[in-house]
Amino acid sequence: MVKYMWMLISIISFKAEMRAQVDSTKSDSLLLLEIQNQLGETPVPPPQPQVAASANPNISVIGDMRGLYRSYGTHHFDAVLNEVELSLESTIDPYARANFYYSIGEDAATGTFTSEIEEGYLTTLSLPAHLQLKAGRFKQDVGRINLVHSHALPFIDMPDAYINFFGEEGLKGDGFSLSWLVPNHSFYQELTFEGTSVGENASFERSRMLFLGHLKNFWDLSDNATLELGLTGMNGENQFGRSSNIYSVDLTYKWKPVQFNTYKSVTFQNEIYFNHADLDSIKVNSKGFYSMLSYQLSKRFFLVGRYDYSNTPFSNSYVQQSGSLTLGWYATEFQKIEVGGKYTNINEPVEEFNHEENFEQGYLRWIFIIGSHGAHQY
Amino acid sequence: MKIKFLFILTVVLFSISSSFGEVIHVVTTTQDTRSIAELIGGNKVEVFAIASGYQNPHFVDPKPSYITKLSEANLYVTLGLDLESGWSPSLLTSSRNNKIQKGSPGYVDASVGVTLMQVPSSINRAEGDIHVFGNPHYWLDPLNGKVIARNICNGLERISPENKAFFEANLKTFNDQIDSRLKTWNTMMAGFKGSKVIAYHNEWCYFENRFGLQIVDFLEPKPGIPPTPSQLVKIINEVKTNNIKVIITSPYFTSSSSDVVSKQTGAKTLVLATSVGAFDSIKTYYDLFDYNLKLLSGSLK
Repeated sequence: MVKYMWMLISIISFKAEMRAQVDSTKSDSLLLLEIQNQLGETPVPPPQPQVAASANPNISVIGDMRGLYRSYGTHHFDAVLNEVELSLESTIDPYARANFYYSIGEDAATGTFTSEIEEGYLTTLSLPAHLQLKAGRFKQDVGRINLVHSHALPFIDMPDAYINFFGEEGLKGDGFSLSWLVPNHSFYQELTFEGTSVGENASFERSRMLFLGHLKNFWDLSDNATLELGLTGMNGENQFGRSSNIYSVDLTYKWKPVQFNTYKSVTFQNEIYFNHADLDSIKVNSKGFYSMLSYQLSKRFFLVGRYDYSNTPFSNSYVQQSGSLTLGWYATEFQKIEVGGKYTNINEPVEEFNHEENFEQGYLRWIFIIGSHGAHQY
Repeated sequence: MKIKFLFILTVVLFSISSSFGEVIHVVTTTQDTRSIAELIGGNKVEVFAIASGYQNPHFVDPKPSYITKLSEANLYVTLGLDLESGWSPSLLTSSRNNKIQKGSPGYVDASVGVTLMQVPSSINRAEGDIHVFGNPHYWLDPLNGKVIARNICNGLERISPENKAFFEANLKTFNDQIDSRLKTWNTMMAGFKGSKVIAYHNEWCYFENRFGLQIVDFLEPKPGIPPTPSQLVKIINEVKTNNIKVIITSPYFTSSSSDVVSKQTGAKTLVLATSVGAFDSIKTYYDLFDYNLKLLSGSLK
């Protein structure tokens, strides 16, 4: 009997427990509903299709294959895989992002490969007062083309003035770059200061820090047209162990109708370098500039003309002038083929060009990109 | 002297950075999110949209002048996925504004919660411009507009919790408007369910799905690859076989290819609005559908 009593009691108590459980679930869900109401009825998002997320950086490889022709000397033609660039780009954490560009280049004459860290730097994302700091190895903020990797330029060969003053690879160094977005409401202004140990170039030695200041001004003239004016000043040590200053002005006008910006555009870009070098015995004031006009014929075709004028960092009597024309066919954002021709005149012929006064050069370039490559600056 | 100068500089900088006042500065990547942000934010917000309504949102030039706007923004609204991947990340990095970086309270990804279409199982660029996360043109379904509005509302509430009731009321009005207008829009399209059409670029799948169209083929042989003669021949045959009446294209594509097809087949080319502001009469997100559905239903008759 007692046994049955116990069984009955335990059944009743179990049922009561069940009810209590049901009740508590009910009150829980009411509470949940109330919380949801208070939270503003945020709808539960529908299930998302699975997308492979990855913490890997954006990786891309860029190939730059070239065919070269020169009228001077005895060796006229070369085919060369000019450069393979590996790029890795990603944010590091909420405070900074990192960009690495590793480049392997082939020498057209010897066929030997050399590799280098083209750039490797971090950029802060969270400094106050509109400041941004870049640290590492990077291309210096001078003019328009120095910041751009060659594959993204609309011409195949670099301007003569650029090569004569900074070298084929341009001006780059290891150090710091601090830029300030000027709180100017009427137009864009950015002021940059850089202190770097520069890589090998014609104007400056690595023995002393190179200091550089750059002011970029940018105006929207209309929805379809923009104007950029850049002013750069830099001071470093030249190969005579003395001081060299280079001042640069760049002016770029772009017309790109917003509605058909993938079909039509015109770019008129100019850059001039004024060099003041204190040599052992004399002071040299020399200059170099280029003027480029790019015209987009259709969605895929670009025609680019350029005039170059250049002295050297240590001579203003040497004058190199050239005119070039490049036709580019852009298959997609990931592939383009360009052909170009260039005519050069030099008043003091040099060994590099077989002591010839006038000569022609021809170029063919095929750029191909795989992977995910970040956007280029405007 | 130096200290005095630094002090003045600090004061100037501080006064500039705190000169926003009451209004919330919102920057959106497109005009559609601008319209929705204005409808939700009302007089509490001032919205600047980067892309124009008649511009291809994939190919916006990252002009430095946009950086100035972003540097002062309290809220950044992106349509997300990889729609703006060619220009939005570089602008954000250059903005030096940590309030609107990805993961910050002022960053709104409008695509959160949207059921995506055409999510690829593998990525191969031989297929053209394939979107890694799925088709990103989701704002062309008005019901996705409600998801966008919810996301923007959440963003506004994060940075301005004191105005929560105001934003929620506006969100409710927006949702009610969409619901009631959707009935009208569906009525307009009621007689044309299953109508076969040709499109220029693969950007209409959400619109197609919502309003019961059937896109048979695209003028582009592959996404992002301009129309080729052989593709146009194929399209002309498809138009003739299926008795297709309409080719839909966007303001930012040239009309030469669609004109060829129209001339050969008699099918009508319709330039539909892909965004608010594509045409002068499209001032709000509601107008976008009013305009497109009026044009479409008129031409499918």
